[in-house]
Amino acid sequence: MKKSAWKRITWWRYAFLAFCFLIIAVNPFLNYHWDINFVQGWFQSIGIGNLWVVSPLEGLESILTAKFFYMPSLVGMVVPVVVALLMGRVFCSWMCPIEFLSVVTDKFLGIFSKKLKYRKDLISLPHKILWFALTTELLLTMVIGYPMFVWWSPPGLVGREIMFYAFYKVITVEVWIVVVVLSLNLFTRRFFCRYFCPLGALLALIGKKRQLVIKYLPDKCINCKVCDTRCPMGIKPSIGESQTVYCWNCAECVDACPTKALKFIWRDDGVIRLKLHNELTTSSTAGKFSSTG
Amino acid sequence: MEKKERTTNRREFLKVTLGAFIGGTLFSCSLSDLKNPKTMVKTPIRTNILRPPGAVPEEHFAQKCIRCGRCGEVCPYHCIKYFDVLSGGVFSGTPYIDVMEVPCYLCMKCVHVCPTGSLVPCAKEEVRMGVAVINRQVCVTWQQNKTGLMCKTCFNVCPFSGIAIKIDHDFRPYIVEENCTGCGICAYSCIADQYPDNNGQKAIRIEPIKWKKIKEIKLEDIKKS
Ligand code: SF4
Ligand code: SF4
Ligand code: SF4
Ligand code: SF4
Ligand code: SF4
Repeated sequence: MKKSAWKRITWWRYAFLAFCFLIIAVNPFLNYHWDINFVQGWFQSIGIGNLWVVSPLEGLESILTAKFFYMPSLVGMVVPVVVALLMGRVFCSWMCPIEFLSVVTDKFLGIFSKKLKYRKDLISLPHKILWFALTTELLLTMVIGYPMFVWWSPPGLVGREIMFYAFYKVITVEVWIVVVVLSLNLFTRRFFCRYFCPLGALLALIGKKRQLVIKYLPDKCINCKVCDTRCPMGIKPSIGESQTVYCWNCAECVDACPTKALKFIWRDDGVIRLKLHNELTTSSTAGKFSSTG
Repeated sequence: MEKKERTTNRREFLKVTLGAFIGGTLFSCSLSDLKNPKTMVKTPIRTNILRPPGAVPEEHFAQKCIRCGRCGEVCPYHCIKYFDVLSGGVFSGTPYIDVMEVPCYLCMKCVHVCPTGSLVPCAKEEVRMGVAVINRQVCVTWQQNKTGLMCKTCFNVCPFSGIAIKIDHDFRPYIVEENCTGCGICAYSCIADQYPDNNGQKAIRIEPIKWKKIKEIKLEDIKKS
């Protein structure tokens, strides 16, 4: 009943994760040794030619503490915010270097023990903690007056350590934050991402009414609960939880489900469809207006 | 019944969050009056350790910079380095230039990639990373009676020689502070440390500009951009 490799969304996800990781891992070396700086930076802000992308949380922190709006950073935040609006936390599951490293370590540990790969969560906390992580983080930032997440954000640190290594041949102590975050995965899969990542929380919040969701078809479901054990975020797709804010659209459950009771859909009650629909119905009247004006 | 409970819960949560946000903003506002880097947290910027060109005043810099490293990655001379948590505390991840290792050659590439406006695009001549100070006790030309040497290295290497650095009637160099960019090329190239009596000391150092002075210059630039 196994799907062929190229049909499994998870493989595409792994490929994309690896691709994104490769960009931030190889780029500092390109910059340093060959002066190819078409791409600069990592996931706090990455510049690809003239396209600047700024991570929403870091940009927000910078604005909150400096109390000053700088157009390029606002513009840079548009792309990630739009992606999150449409597809939720896909950054976390499809691009984040921490997720890439988690997958790699999972697979690596899986070599030694088949069970470890989809092991049970040893600790599970209420998912709501995520919101407190976000608010605490922002409050702390404002009270102290220095952006906090920008210097300890694990996804950013991965890029920074690689850059430090490429440029100065050193690895700083902050690398331990990454190590700790990864080793927390031994207790609970994606422990940090699930409960404590402020960036993940912000993206989840933005993607609350996202268009791309995983739909659960109860009449196809045979109640085997495979999807529940597979979900890295500890959600239970088998009771329809995949449509909550906490799902990060990784599609592990879609691939795992033996009866295809789970699938990606673009919500039809969503903003886009409504807009399109309105436009279609009003286009005839709009045509009249434009001809007179 | 359950639904109702959930909405009140959520409302409660929103209230608390909103309250906390407003409180936090007010609190941080009152703090911002005190936010003088001298009293709050000591900045690691000091003699010869400077912010890259176009940097906003030090008291705002660490708040604006998101530590993305783009400025360092584009610098063709690799002069930009970053503090880590041991050397910089809350300043960790922010860029600096150690002019004694590599000075800034004012190519102005870094200011154009900064996404947060921590480095504000400006002309070469407007850069004020710091100001050069000549130690006349160490400079071989100022001590020509003793050394018998007439060195003009700093004058020759300065990108604004004759403007930022001048030579007086005794061929001794002096700095015109208003025009010096603080790029540090002169300090880097100074040969005074080769003179045996100087014990490896350079005759020029770059001092970061006083907070007030920098603020006057740069806040204008920010508003313009
Ligand atoms: S519900 Fe499915 S898509 Fe969502 S996080 Fe879990 S496994 Fe991934
Ligand atoms: S102006 Fe040029 S040389 Fe100076 S720090 Fe920026 S990129 Fe480097
Ligand atoms: S490019 Fe700007 S925001 Fe990024 S590290 Fe440099 S100064 Fe900070
Ligand atoms: S005097 Fe020195 S620091 Fe000042 S602009 Fe000239 S070379 Fe740069
Ligand atoms: S390079 Fe140094 S020693 Fe030579 S004139 Fe300048 S300050 Fe004096």
